[in-house]
Amino acid sequence: MSEHRKPNTEHRNWQPKIIAFLCNWCSYAGADLAGVSRIQYPPNIRVIRVPCSGRINPIFVLKCLQNGFDGVLVSGCYPGDCHYISGNYYARRKFAILKTLLEFIGIEPGRVQFSWVSAGEGEKFAQVVKKVTDDVKKLGPAKRFVKRV
Amino acid sequence: MSAPKSTTTGLKKRENAILDLLKKGLERKCFDTVLIPVKVPAGDSYVWVLAQDNSLLDDASPLPPVMPVHGAKAISSVMRRGKGRKRIATVMRPCEISATIELSKLGQVELDNVFLISIDCPGVLPLSDYLENPKKGGDAFEKVFKQWGNGSVRPICQVCHRFSMPTGASDIHIGMLEAGERDIFIISNSPKGEAILKELDISPKKEIGSWKDKVKEITEERKNKRKNLQEELKPGVVGLDRLLDTFSKCINCHNCMRVCPVCYCRQCYFDSDKLKHPYEDYLFRAEMSGGLRFLPDTLLFHLGRMAHMSLSCVSCGSCEDACPLKIPVSQIFGLVADETQKLFDYIPGRKTDEPVPMATYKEEELKEVED
Ligand code: SF4
Ligand code: SF4
Ligand code: SF4
Ligand code: FES
Repeated sequence: MSEHRKPNTEHRNWQPKIIAFLCNWCSYAGADLAGVSRIQYPPNIRVIRVPCSGRINPIFVLKCLQNGFDGVLVSGCYPGDCHYISGNYYARRKFAILKTLLEFIGIEPGRVQFSWVSAGEGEKFAQVVKKVTDDVKKLGPAKRFVKRV
Repeated sequence: MSAPKSTTTGLKKRENAILDLLKKGLERKCFDTVLIPVKVPAGDSYVWVLAQDNSLLDDASPLPPVMPVHGAKAISSVMRRGKGRKRIATVMRPCEISATIELSKLGQVELDNVFLISIDCPGVLPLSDYLENPKKGGDAFEKVFKQWGNGSVRPICQVCHRFSMPTGASDIHIGMLEAGERDIFIISNSPKGEAILKELDISPKKEIGSWKDKVKEITEERKNKRKNLQEELKPGVVGLDRLLDTFSKCINCHNCMRVCPVCYCRQCYFDSDKLKHPYEDYLFRAEMSGGLRFLPDTLLFHLGRMAHMSLSCVSCGSCEDACPLKIPVSQIFGLVADETQKLFDYIPGRKTDEPVPMATYKEEELKEVED
């Protein structure tokens, strides 16, 4: 079992674990650029590359939170730039539904964030990661769905 | 208002008036068959029947006291393998018509050869109440009809604000409120409906002002009641702990999904292997949380369903009726659905040519969810 899923709430120096779903064509490339350009950003994210932000199902996000992640970032191409033309517009709609649902469940909105980052925006990518990490740090560890028998 | 001295009650009289209309339609070949609830021979329930001849229609009940199978489920089963040439007329409650329209948008019902006849609905009794004593249930429903909904109908029906279709997506609407003891209002809602009424030599009643007013009045009343019910419900279900509590007795039977008319997936994700994990995964999760309940992912199932189909939820109450543990599923779903539908200013079943929100988008919208 991989290390990243170990519970870590007891640590004094608690560090949030954040999962980032990045579109292959833009945000993933943006993350890559940030790396190549040696732009510093918090090491709290674990990246999952997806073919398009439209691929992301709200259930993925819920499962991440259920499995012990403290935050989730979803990032895709800017409106008009999606390689599949409109995947990101649908993603935004799904995300809006998810937000409503999270509110209902009582999960703080700051834990789950959505942003547009292009392939050329290494700097913006670093900023987004920094913001998400800061927000989640402020919120503290996420309560898990299945914390009780 | 005193009931007429007769063995036929007001309810039965209205039902007969509707059946006469259908019989005439069959005779004049306006349609080839009628899909309608019929009392089962044992007398303790109702089933949908494709009735081809008038004698079967004698036993039909356009307004049964319960809703064991949702009408949209029935008609989509007829078309599971596509549409045909023969024309079907069907009489349904507004929540059934709305779900049928939703399924048509999702390609699971073809409306070309279907005549949708909606009907003013006083609500239905909880299935479990009715089954305890069908005879008594029948009598209780007479009362429901007379009082136009009372405390014995399902909670979701008591707060149903779409119990009529004054401007609906049906072809013909049957109004009953304010129609007098034995009469019905026959209203055409579409060109298709108009054509049928012409063939049947029925001129739509012009004097429906009193009906419209009454519908409006009750609609407003119900909207308020719905709001109040939701406010009462919220403290018990909103938030992770309360939600877990609410669904903690769920036995994962998935009845609520199976009976839901708008749960349209042929294979539910939550029944698939996608959510069956390796042994080690479960043990790890148990270790991580100090314990893991089985069957697993109960709450995830409900949240997944909310994320997936709350936009089309018609608040029909079928899920709640089918829940063996009496979890107020439809009231909870209604709460979420009202919010998600509001996001896109969407009302399921409102129009046939309005796509479901997940099949369309606007370039400029929802800026508030972007960071
Ligand atoms: S929810 Fe109840 S009152 Fe409303 S249309 Fe359906 S059966 Fe009738
Ligand atoms: S979720 Fe329940 S109330 Fe909503 S459409 Fe499905 S069965 Fe009806
Ligand atoms: S019908 Fe009731 S018990 Fe069965 S899965 Fe749905 S909520 Fe759970
Ligand atoms: S390809 Fe990047 S969001 Fe669709």
